[in-house]
Amino acid sequence: MNKNQSKTISWIVILSSLVITFFFLYQMKENAYMETDLDEYMPKEHPAFVYSDKAEEWFHIKDGILIAIENKNGIYNSGSLQKIKDMTKQLQDMNEFDDNDVTSLYSADNITGSADGMEVESFYSKVPKSEEKLKEIQAKVKTNDMVFGRLISEDETVALVVAGMNDSTFTEEFYNQILEFAHSFEGDGDKIYVAGRPIVEGTMGLLGPADMKRMVPIVLIVIALVLYFLTRSVRATTATLFSVFLSTIWAFGLMAWLKVPIYSVSTMMPVMLIAIGVAYGIYFYNHLNEFLSIGNKPNLSEGVKNTIKILWKPLAMAAFTTLIGFLSLLTSQVYPIKYFGIFTAFGILVAFVLALAFLPASVILFGYSGKKGKTDNSNTVSNKIQKLTDKILEKKNITYITLAFIVIISLYGISKVWINSSFLDKFETDSDIVLTDNFVNSKFGGTSTLNVILESTESNAFKNPENLSLIDRMQTETEKLPKVGNSFALSDYLKRMNKVMNEDKAEFYAIPESSDMVAQYLLLYEMSGDPENLTKVVNYDYNRSNVTFQLKGDDSKTINEAMAVIKSYEDDFKAKGIEIKYAGSGYKALVFTDLILEGQIYSIVMSLVMVFILLSLMFKSIKVGLIGSVPIVITALISFGVMGLLDIPLSTTTALLSSIAIGIGIDYAIHFLENYKLNLLQTSNPVYALYATMGITGRAILYNAIVVISGFLVLLFSVFPPNRTLGALVSMNMFTSLIGTLSIMMILSYTFKIFSIKNHTSANK
Amino acid sequence: MRKVNLIFVMVLIFGLLQMQEAKAQLSGAQIMQKVYDQPSGKDLQGELTMTLENKQGEQRVRKLKQYILKEAQGEKKIMFFMSPADVKGTSFMNWSYTNGQDDDQWIYLPALKRTKRISSEGKGDYFMGSDFTYDDLGDRHPDEDNHKLLREENVNGKACYVVESTPKEEDYMYSKTITWVMKDNYIGLKREFYDEDGKLLKTLSINKYEKISGFWTILETEMKNVQKDHKTKMVFGNVLINQNIPATKFTERSMTLGQ
Repeated sequence: MNKNQSKTISWIVILSSLVITFFFLYQMKENAYMETDLDEYMPKEHPAFVYSDKAEEWFHIKDGILIAIENKNGIYNSGSLQKIKDMTKQLQDMNEFDDNDVTSLYSADNITGSADGMEVESFYSKVPKSEEKLKEIQAKVKTNDMVFGRLISEDETVALVVAGMNDSTFTEEFYNQILEFAHSFEGDGDKIYVAGRPIVEGTMGLLGPADMKRMVPIVLIVIALVLYFLTRSVRATTATLFSVFLSTIWAFGLMAWLKVPIYSVSTMMPVMLIAIGVAYGIYFYNHLNEFLSIGNKPNLSEGVKNTIKILWKPLAMAAFTTLIGFLSLLTSQVYPIKYFGIFTAFGILVAFVLALAFLPASVILFGYSGKKGKTDNSNTVSNKIQKLTDKILEKKNITYITLAFIVIISLYGISKVWINSSFLDKFETDSDIVLTDNFVNSKFGGTSTLNVILESTESNAFKNPENLSLIDRMQTETEKLPKVGNSFALSDYLKRMNKVMNEDKAEFYAIPESSDMVAQYLLLYEMSGDPENLTKVVNYDYNRSNVTFQLKGDDSKTINEAMAVIKSYEDDFKAKGIEIKYAGSGYKALVFTDLILEGQIYSIVMSLVMVFILLSLMFKSIKVGLIGSVPIVITALISFGVMGLLDIPLSTTTALLSSIAIGIGIDYAIHFLENYKLNLLQTSNPVYALYATMGITGRAILYNAIVVISGFLVLLFSVFPPNRTLGALVSMNMFTSLIGTLSIMMILSYTFKIFSIKNHTSANK
Repeated sequence: MRKVNLIFVMVLIFGLLQMQEAKAQLSGAQIMQKVYDQPSGKDLQGELTMTLENKQGEQRVRKLKQYILKEAQGEKKIMFFMSPADVKGTSFMNWSYTNGQDDDQWIYLPALKRTKRISSEGKGDYFMGSDFTYDDLGDRHPDEDNHKLLREENVNGKACYVVESTPKEEDYMYSKTITWVMKDNYIGLKREFYDEDGKLLKTLSINKYEKISGFWTILETEMKNVQKDHKTKMVFGNVLINQNIPATKFTERSMTLGQ
């Protein structure tokens, strides 16, 4: 192949890359769309979700937007009451809400009893002006447990307007609209707070990706600077970044072309591709430099060919094993994660092909001068590397002990790892949304809900006072938990009715004595109250009932604590032929995170096994396979160990980090081993071979780690906490992989004499 | 002069034709008045089976015995629950007044052995969890709405007037109703109710009607809430009219008697 030929080929490579890139850009422009509905993440066919969705329909379970109106001088004034009324009516008029799903002091029924009868009336319809009338409302609220502490805070300074809605109708515009709407009621001593799951989800759906969009360019700039600092070549830096950039576009372009939406986990794809893609560039230029520095007369075309020849095998192996790591995510039951695995794998494939096609082509066409100012101190550098290598080998016991120590601590840390399904925990503790949530939680039962669905095979089961008392006991017991605010069930209606029908005497605030009485009260409620309310707690056959718990947190710990108490009643219910099930968005999020974790553990184990097998096959030695797997095992251990120790919960974001740990860690090991093998063939002295390997590959790995770590440390300045955690953990994973490869793996490679041919083993003795 | 006369005659003829037309064509208001004026008995008694069916297809069936007495100042109604068993003997009494006064209501719960007065504000309340509001069940006076005859068409082979009624009251629960009135007997055969936003909310259909003791009586009717996918079927049986039910039937004491 002569010079012209290679130029022609290079042009073809560059131009076809650009054509494909434009095609994918066009696809992105035409078809890309962001999926913000979190329900779309859930595996819909999973039994827990299928059931929850059904229960949500039976009992009209919806996520509530909570608008709190606070007036420090007391809520019972004409102005605040007028606002509650206006807000209620205007929310009812919005298409997103059914009239019945907007609850407030204005829309609530006040059922009261007297000696001769029962009255159902609203607390007010026309806003009263006189002090006397206002006091009257205050007194009415205070004696109604279904309103006091639920819609009006116990200190009487805050009123709540709750608007239930389906997540699927929640859009970005609506989110902005509802915030603007709520805050338009601010003023005259009234403060407005907006909380509730739809708001939290909405904020998160907007904040996360927006933050990523802002951070990725900065990450790229930092990586570019460090890359330039290490390679001292504008062309190398530009070409590397450009090829990484192209691989990202191709990956997203393919997604758009196949009409797969962009999920919020997909925003991690650029991060992964940058971390892994940049490495390929560094290996390429590092080897090229090596060749150019050895050769007397720099011949680019020869250098490129030589580099490709040496590099294609380890790069292919590295890329292949990384692909396996990501493709193992296909076992996940969560579609966005499956897609994340497939398309990141595709991006890596592209990055690999570009590193061996696009980068060589750009070197041939645009020239490359090699690393400047490198030759002068090359001897001192290799001296240092030799000394370092000697030291590591000499003090290997220190490494073993340290490692053992780290492994023990990590295992302890791993035992403390917990999964968090919380959305709120993703925000700053002093952010608006968390403060609002804390405020509403401090005044009311809780901003999050857990629905407990009780099912019996016998109809009329929930007219039975024994069953109702059991529900009541379960409610009381669960409410004792500090994070459980209050609960709401059929039993509450019956207790209230019983009291009302017995002249409002406090001692009758209890479950009625007979099932006939229960049935008659319920009939009475249907005739006088709003029958729609009852459909939210019991079905037509009275064999399915919904108990709603208000929780002061949406994190897994809070939900699990509540569920633990509820589960302790499982046997009692079972004895009565009643089964306990769960529903609602909080529960679904909990199941969802469990699924992610389960899938994650499965895919980690699977990819570790696959990587071990592949390494063993590649190097035709089980020993090498085992030794090569050591750095990634350590990286994964430390990654999860640190999460446990620092109380960083597993979430959708952090769970995916193990893919990076494996994807990158394995690259380091493969390059090191492959280079060591080549060097051994040349020198046949393991120590010299190690010197050489540390010199070339060691440096490449180090550079790669420096570039990516410095890039990801930028994420520490992100405003979105999950992105900060991501930056810190990716940096840490790179670092442990680096150290693991250059210390323990090197020591093991040497100690266990891998790739050794018989005669040189004896020569070594 | 002749010319003027001719015009005069033409105007006259045209005017007469118009009057002729008006005579043949009833206005919407006139049609609804005729529906309202439909003669009914002084009293009525019978059994009512009310079936509620929700979106999931679950049903709630209740059997009641009811007595209705019409008096000059209003209507008295008493209902006794026959089934399901756990509410048997529960009774409900309602007195409504023509002078616009709020209804008086009582309930007797046998488990509690006490009669209680219940007072409720709106006529827009749904009756026993059904799709009928108290207002849907009562006779709404035609003067409360503006009526417009939309068209005439056949429904199930019956020639009907189609009348749109818009409430004069601003905050009424329906923005309008459309009623199909049979031409031959002025019985409403079908009605559509539209919500505040002008969207179809419910449809009422009369599935069976008969002349009993000389009065047209509805025997089967179904109301369907199309927005909630919920429906209520009412079937009347053993209907007797003008049996001279005594006024003493409609007292708190008789409520406790079970039927």
